[in-house]
Amino acid sequence: MSGCATAPASPEALAANDPYEQTNRDMLKFNAKVDKYFVIPTVGLYFLLVPEGGRRGVHNFLGNLSLPTIFVNDMMQGELSRAGKSMWRLVINSTIGLGGFFDPAAKIGIPGHGEDFGQTLAVWGANEGPYLVLPFFGPSNPRDATGLVVDTAIDPTNQIHIKQHLWWAAGREYFTLLDLRAQTYQTVRGIQRNSVDYYSSLRNFYRQFRNEQIRNGRKQTEDLPDF
Amino acid sequence: MRPLNSPALTRRAMLVSATLAAPLLTAGPALAAANVAESFVDDNIHKGLNILSDKKLTLTQRRDQFETLLLGLVDVRRIALFTLGQYRRSAPPDDVEAFVNAFKNYAAAAYQSYFSKYTDQTLKVTGSTKRNDTDYIVQTLLVDPNSSQPPAEVDFRVRTDTGKPVLVDVAYQGIWLSLEQRDQFVAFLGQNNGNVRTLIAHLSELAVNLAKPT
Repeated sequence: MSGCATAPASPEALAANDPYEQTNRDMLKFNAKVDKYFVIPTVGLYFLLVPEGGRRGVHNFLGNLSLPTIFVNDMMQGELSRAGKSMWRLVINSTIGLGGFFDPAAKIGIPGHGEDFGQTLAVWGANEGPYLVLPFFGPSNPRDATGLVVDTAIDPTNQIHIKQHLWWAAGREYFTLLDLRAQTYQTVRGIQRNSVDYYSSLRNFYRQFRNEQIRNGRKQTEDLPDF
Repeated sequence: MRPLNSPALTRRAMLVSATLAAPLLTAGPALAAANVAESFVDDNIHKGLNILSDKKLTLTQRRDQFETLLLGLVDVRRIALFTLGQYRRSAPPDDVEAFVNAFKNYAAAAYQSYFSKYTDQTLKVTGSTKRNDTDYIVQTLLVDPNSSQPPAEVDFRVRTDTGKPVLVDVAYQGIWLSLEQRDQFVAFLGQNNGNVRTLIAHLSELAVNLAKPT
């Protein structure tokens, strides 16, 4: 993109571990256009055509498809208790939950949790690296981008060879994006409305959010700055 | 059988009580301070949520009452200076003072905007963590009675070094607001040659927009 050939990174960008800031800002603008012209209109249609119960069912179904990947990452992080929960959720929701459209596991005290290979790399001690904004995927870093590739590779649903595999994969990605955007629409609007600089606000939110995910919700207050 | 009030038994009971109470006595001041921080959050956040959910108040009354409460609880000056990052040292003192005032208006509008989403929910203090003798993180859960989602974790950072508890930061699901604001402001100033007056103008505009009903 244009940023690659422009001025060197500013001291602020380097201090924020964001040496590709200008390229990232350009990429955020590109993603915002995709969001505005392609994603948001279909999210509107999705809200209009699918009632809340149906949207929850889709959300549960997509979450259930991710459970094998979450289980593998739980195991790789040595989180055996959480791995057990992921396994039980997969068994209960795939059967009693009718293929994952319902979430009876949460009702009996086994709530869901997220896990991915980016987090596994962090647990293994890998640094996040510089901030990146990926086309279509948004905020990331080299560690999380690697995680994205590995998670796709180890996802067992991608190993199922069916005739219409491409349609299945594309459909799943599309509904994942739709579900994510439907869930975060208000939050993103709130950040945009409150921000002095939306780009750096999103960058900070992403980093804090990922650190919270890596800690699995365990409190860590000693790193907070003194003021 | 030995009578209940025998001196030997009383002495032993006192000894046991004293032994059991010793750790509590040692931890007394710290526990008391933690309780002060927890009560401070418990009492005042409920007051704030009550103001925001009071349908009898007009928009202006609600905004004014919330702002008065907020500015009494939050150490806005401390947060404002923190969010300026390295520019606090390089900016002219008059600009820094003007920024603190602009930040006050922005913070009142922004906090109102954040908290107004949660007026139907209840906040429950679940405990606190001591960072040092005057710095506490009070943990709470925000429970939405109309949602099947697990309660959201909201943490409040309370400082007591000025003699009374004051709020200096809030975290929603682990994301601290002041850290996010500092990153934004420093990035904005970096893109605007460190001109604090540009940031003041931008914040003032934002405060006006945030105060408008959505």
